[in-house]
Amino acid sequence: MSDVMIRLDEVHKRYDGQAGDAVAPLSMEIREGEFVVFVGPSGCGKTTTLRMINRMVEPSGGRIWIDGRDVTDVDPDELRKHIGYVIQQVGLIPHLTVAANVGLVPKLLGWQRDRIEARTAELLDLVGLDPAAFGGRYPKQLSGGQQQRVGVARALAADPPVMLMDEPFGAIDPITRARLQEEFLALQRRIRKTIVFVTHDVDEALRLGDRVAVFGEGSRLVQFDTPLGILTNPADDYVRDFLGSGAAVRRLGLLNVGDLRKPEPADRLPLRVSSGDSVHSVLERMLRDGADRVIIEGESTEDDRELTLRELLMAGSAR
Amino acid sequence: MSTRDEVANATGEAKSWVLPVIAAALVVIVFASINARELDSIEARLLSGEEILARVGEHLRLVAISTVAVILLAVPLGVLLSRPGMRLLGAPVLAVANAGQAIPSIGILVLLAILFGVGIWMAVISLVLYALLPVLRNTMVGLKQVDRALIDAGRGMGMSARQVLVTIELPLAVPVMLAGIRVALILNVGVATLATYTNAGGLGSLIESGIVFNRMPVVLAGSILTVALALSVDWLAGVCERGLRPRGI
Repeated sequence: MSDVMIRLDEVHKRYDGQAGDAVAPLSMEIREGEFVVFVGPSGCGKTTTLRMINRMVEPSGGRIWIDGRDVTDVDPDELRKHIGYVIQQVGLIPHLTVAANVGLVPKLLGWQRDRIEARTAELLDLVGLDPAAFGGRYPKQLSGGQQQRVGVARALAADPPVMLMDEPFGAIDPITRARLQEEFLALQRRIRKTIVFVTHDVDEALRLGDRVAVFGEGSRLVQFDTPLGILTNPADDYVRDFLGSGAAVRRLGLLNVGDLRKPEPADRLPLRVSSGDSVHSVLERMLRDGADRVIIEGESTEDDRELTLRELLMAGSAR
Repeated sequence: MSTRDEVANATGEAKSWVLPVIAAALVVIVFASINARELDSIEARLLSGEEILARVGEHLRLVAISTVAVILLAVPLGVLLSRPGMRLLGAPVLAVANAGQAIPSIGILVLLAILFGVGIWMAVISLVLYALLPVLRNTMVGLKQVDRALIDAGRGMGMSARQVLVTIELPLAVPVMLAGIRVALILNVGVATLATYTNAGGLGSLIESGIVFNRMPVVLAGSILTVALALSVDWLAGVCERGLRPRGI
C-alpha cells in the first residue's frame, strides 16, 4: 500500500455552455491519515473538487486515484459506499431512526443485522451519543449539533478509509461548532482517517487541517501547505488578504513555547503607528515585524511618543 | 412529541368524529322518513332494503375499481415524470390530465357509451379520466418537495437512484400523495352517480329512477345516501392517511 491515499491528476471540471473551467486542472496528493482542508471564498471550486473525489460531480478530465487504485471509471455507487460523506445539511433521513440512519451503508453492503446493530451502537458511542437513549429517536428530535454527530457516525459506519466533509459544521452555532471541532479532532487522532474537509472559514481550516489548500478566484489552487507554513509564508497577496488581519497572532496559536529558540540579537526599527490604532492591531504588527517599540505619531514630530513593548504590555494589562 | 403536534392531533381527532356522525345522522333520517311514510308500490320497490344495499354496493365497487386504477396509473406516471430527463414531459402530461378533469364527466360518459356501448367499464374509464389529475399532480409535487440535500446524502452514501427513490423520496412523498388519493376518492364517489347513464348502477340509478317515475322521496334518498357515503369514505380515507404517514416527519 502506498503512502498516498488520494491522488488527483490534472482533474478538472467544465460545465457545458460555460466559459472557463469550474475547476481548473488540479493535481494534488493527500497522504494516508492526513486531514486536508480546502478553503476559499464561495464559487472557488472547493466543493466541486471535493465532489469529484467521490464522483458526485463527474470530472471533465484527469484521473483520480484512491489507495493506489484508479477510480475515475469505476461504478460510482460502489465507490461511494467506501467513502464517508458528510454534508452541511447533514441529510439524515427523517422517517428513519437515528440507528437506522447510521446503519444505512452497512445495510447497503449486506451486513448481518446483529453486526449492523453492534456497529451502530459502537459508532454512536464514538461520537458521544448514548445508543440506548438516541438510537430509537427520529432526527427531528435531535439538536443541530447532535444531528451532525449522527451524520459523522453514519459516514464512518462502514469504516471507510477516506472521509469527505462539505462544511459539516457550517450551519451550527459558534459555541457548539467549536466543541464539535474539538471533539472531531480528538476522534480523528484515534481513527486516523484520510479526511478532505471543505470550509470557507479560515480559522476552522487552520485549526483542523494538517495541511490547508487555499483556493482562489478562477478555481486555482493558490497554496497547499501546513497551517504554520501558510501563516508564516503566505504565497501571495491573495492568500495574505484571505488570511485577513491577525495572521501573526493566529500563527502563535500553532507554536508551543518549547519550540521557540532564542533569537539572534538584532537592531529593529521602531514601528510608526497613529494614536487612533487599537492596541490589538499595534501588537499584531509588532509581532509580524519583530519590532520591540513603537513611535506613536502626534500632531507634529515634537508630539511623537515612544513606547516599548514592555510598557505597552503593562499599560494594556487588565490588572 | 411536542405540544404543538399534540394540539394538531387533538383537533384532527375531533374533526375526524364529525364526518361519520353527520353521515350516520343522514342515514338515520332517510330510513326514519321512509318508514314513517305510506309508500306506493314503485317507492316500496325502489326503497327496499335489498335494493338500496345493492345500489350502495355497486357504487362502492365503481369507486373502488376506478380509484385503484387511478393509483396504478397516476403514481407510476408521476414517478416517471419526476425523474431527471423526463421533467420536460411533465407540463404537457399535466395539461392532458387537466383537460381530463375540465371536460364534464357526463360528456365523456355519453361519448364512450355512443362509441363503445354501455357497461361498467365505460363508467370506470370516465371516472379514471376525471380523478387522474389530483393523484398525478400530488405524486409529482410530493416527490418534488423532497429536500435535495437528502437525495444528495443518499447518493453520496452509495445508494443507486432507485434505492434513493424507494428509501427516501417515495416515503417522504407519501403524505402529499395520500392527500391526492383522498381527493380522487371523494371525486369518484360524487361522479359515480353518473354511472347510471351507462347502465352501471350505483346510487345514481336510484336518483334517476326517482326522476323518471316522479317520486321525490326516492330522489332525496338517493342524493342523501350519496352525501352520507362521500362523508364516510372521506372519514375512512382520513383515518388511513394518518395511519400510513411515515413516523418522524
